Amino acid sequence: MLVKSSSTLITVLVGIGAALLLFWILNKLAELLPGRWEHRVKPYLYILPAFASITVYLIYPTILTVNNSFKDNLSRNYVGFRNYTTLFHSQEFRETLFNTLLWVIIVPSVAVVLGLAVAVLTDRLSPGAEKFSKTVLFLPMAISMIGAATIWRFVYAAEPKGQPQIGILNAFIGIFNWGPIAWLQKSTFHLNSLLLMVILLWAQIGFSMVLLSAAVKGVPADTLEAARIDGANERQIFFRVTVPQIKGTLITVLITVTIGTMKVFDIVYVNTNGDFNTNVLGNLFYNNISTFLNYGAASAIVVILMIAVIPIMWYQVRHFRAEEAGAS
Amino acid sequence: MRSPVIRRTTLLGTALFTAAALSLTACGGGGSGSGGNSSTVTIWSSIDAPVQAGLEKALVAKLKAQGKDITIKWQQVQDINQLIVTKIQAGDTPDIAFIPQPGVVRQMNTLGATKAMDDTVDMTTLKSSMLPGSLDAGTIDGKLMGLLVSANVKGLIFYPKKAFDAKGYKAPKDIAGLEALTNQIKADGGTPWCMGIESDTATGWPATDWIETLVMKYNGADVYNKWVAGDVKFDSPEVTKATDEFAKLLFTSGNTLGGQSAIASTNFGTAGNPMFDSSGPKCWLYNQGSFITGFFPKNIQKDLDANVGVFGFPPATAGGDNPVEGGGDMMTMLNDSDNVKTVVKDLSETDIGNDAAPSSSFISPHTDFNVKLYPTGTTKTIAGVAYASTAFLFDGSDQMPAEVGTGSFWKEMTAWISGQEDATTALKNIDSSWPSS
Repeated sequence: MLVKSSSTLITVLVGIGAALLLFWILNKLAELLPGRWEHRVKPYLYILPAFASITVYLIYPTILTVNNSFKDNLSRNYVGFRNYTTLFHSQEFRETLFNTLLWVIIVPSVAVVLGLAVAVLTDRLSPGAEKFSKTVLFLPMAISMIGAATIWRFVYAAEPKGQPQIGILNAFIGIFNWGPIAWLQKSTFHLNSLLLMVILLWAQIGFSMVLLSAAVKGVPADTLEAARIDGANERQIFFRVTVPQIKGTLITVLITVTIGTMKVFDIVYVNTNGDFNTNVLGNLFYNNISTFLNYGAASAIVVILMIAVIPIMWYQVRHFRAEEAGAS
Repeated sequence: MRSPVIRRTTLLGTALFTAAALSLTACGGGGSGSGGNSSTVTIWSSIDAPVQAGLEKALVAKLKAQGKDITIKWQQVQDINQLIVTKIQAGDTPDIAFIPQPGVVRQMNTLGATKAMDDTVDMTTLKSSMLPGSLDAGTIDGKLMGLLVSANVKGLIFYPKKAFDAKGYKAPKDIAGLEALTNQIKADGGTPWCMGIESDTATGWPATDWIETLVMKYNGADVYNKWVAGDVKFDSPEVTKATDEFAKLLFTSGNTLGGQSAIASTNFGTAGNPMFDSSGPKCWLYNQGSFITGFFPKNIQKDLDANVGVFGFPPATAGGDNPVEGGGDMMTMLNDSDNVKTVVKDLSETDIGNDAAPSSSFISPHTDFNVKLYPTGTTKTIAGVAYASTAFLFDGSDQMPAEVGTGSFWKEMTAWISGQEDATTALKNIDSSWPSS
């Protein structure tokens, strides 16, 4: 442990030192240039390391992944579109796509609605009570996704009837002599998927709440007063005055949570590993690369996921630009 | 005009970012394959620490007795099945790797990473000493690429010894006898079977072990090997017979603790514990591998021989063909320098287990192993089941292509047992998931 932490420390120190040295050298190089050129070239030299690391760690792997998606399981020979056709012909993949779609529709909208509800309601509490309730709701954000998933595994756990129930849900319904129910196996109406979504919501609601709460507080009080004087009721004020003024934040939260939800993996992996019709793209990808050692299929899944994320990203970038243009 | 202070902080910020990126790359690396005839031989394995310690001790002693100046660097790695393929592709490999899955050995061979051991080990001795059939699991195109060094035995039925003996129950001689025992326990007011297939992300594997055991007991080694190779379909009479018997023994109302619906949510590690309930056994029989004793309650483990009884899953017909399912860690040679060959030779011999056996759960794959070295009567019985088998057959799901062996076979069995699909659908789905190339 000591060896590990000290080597981590040394790595970090050496890394920072090397980076400082690199920028110092780049700076000196720029200073060698004649006056005007120094100022022209310097910015580019400064962004060079960041640009290079994005190229090495993001763009290069992306190209590699797209390339591998057209190769066989060990990335040796090109197989054309076979990985894609196999995927779309498989019942499991279609179910996985549908499940992922459910996640993407349900989680972000519920996160925004609940986050907004909490933001508006806590806004009316005394400052102490507001701080306390917000802190409690924000706490799960501090837990890693794997940790959250593991905690909820115990909530849903089921033991054979007659054995002590360690799962809190089954222990609770056991009081009424009901159950035990193997919650995560109940795929009717996708109940098990919904139960898994609860975990992500539990972990993410704090994020949505904090951003929306800040936005709600930023709504100018005079606009609300003006509405009240004009005789608007609370509902009208909320939907016609508050919501339009925080629309930007609403969209940002919605998009951020959507992108996070599309990549959901840990929760499903830890709880069911995709069994009982709960699979999502992130978990299917992991199964393919890590368990089936099928790099081709795994790459194809990632490419599909990437294509699905692009329009949302594009919309987000456009939205940000519009916001910035509106702000200045 | 920007102030120099701001400039410095931005500089530091960028530096920190780059440092983070740099330190990420620094985390790679690790063991290395030695070139030439290095005097250090590296071994990677995911074997239990006590077994590894015992094997290493015996190996070092053997090398010393032979007067060889070879340093052994034996590293315990996490999940070698996944690691080794990645490491081979990265060109960073040990000299010897212990692989639990024959399917992975085959994959390593496809990548050209394994060396044949036929000329390195004493094949004549091994053919007579090794468990019947166990050499086949590591033989690819007639060449020995993987050799079992440490074995485990599956298809073992554990029972609560004291209560079992008090009721006068006897180990059955054939599958019909096992059905009779099941019915007798039920008639006496007990629940015959403990069963659980939940195993985190590997949920389903205990069910595949059951099916594999039944397939080999009913159909013999040849059909079993053909099935594992994909030449006998899952949706075939041979396999359907096994799933039918599985359903008869475990799905029949009152046969399994918690009923059929509890199987998929009960963890395999704790499923057997109700056998040792203080108020008497809540279930009586648990079919698992030799390692399961390590999951039993601590007070039971303290005196395993008095508390736990075990018999091998009975053959289809009493006294007939009786293959036994097992597994273990196979040695693979990734470097054929003289020193590595010396180590491989030593590891292939029967007496390599002499230090591991008394102090761990080690079971030797050599039938001429001195059984007196096993620490408990339970281990002796388990080893006896393997040594008396007509064929020792490797866990089928470990040999099938990973898409099936660690994928659809687990998942479809889970879907069937949890009642999401019927057996025919599950078996057909597994067949269609078998990779074409």
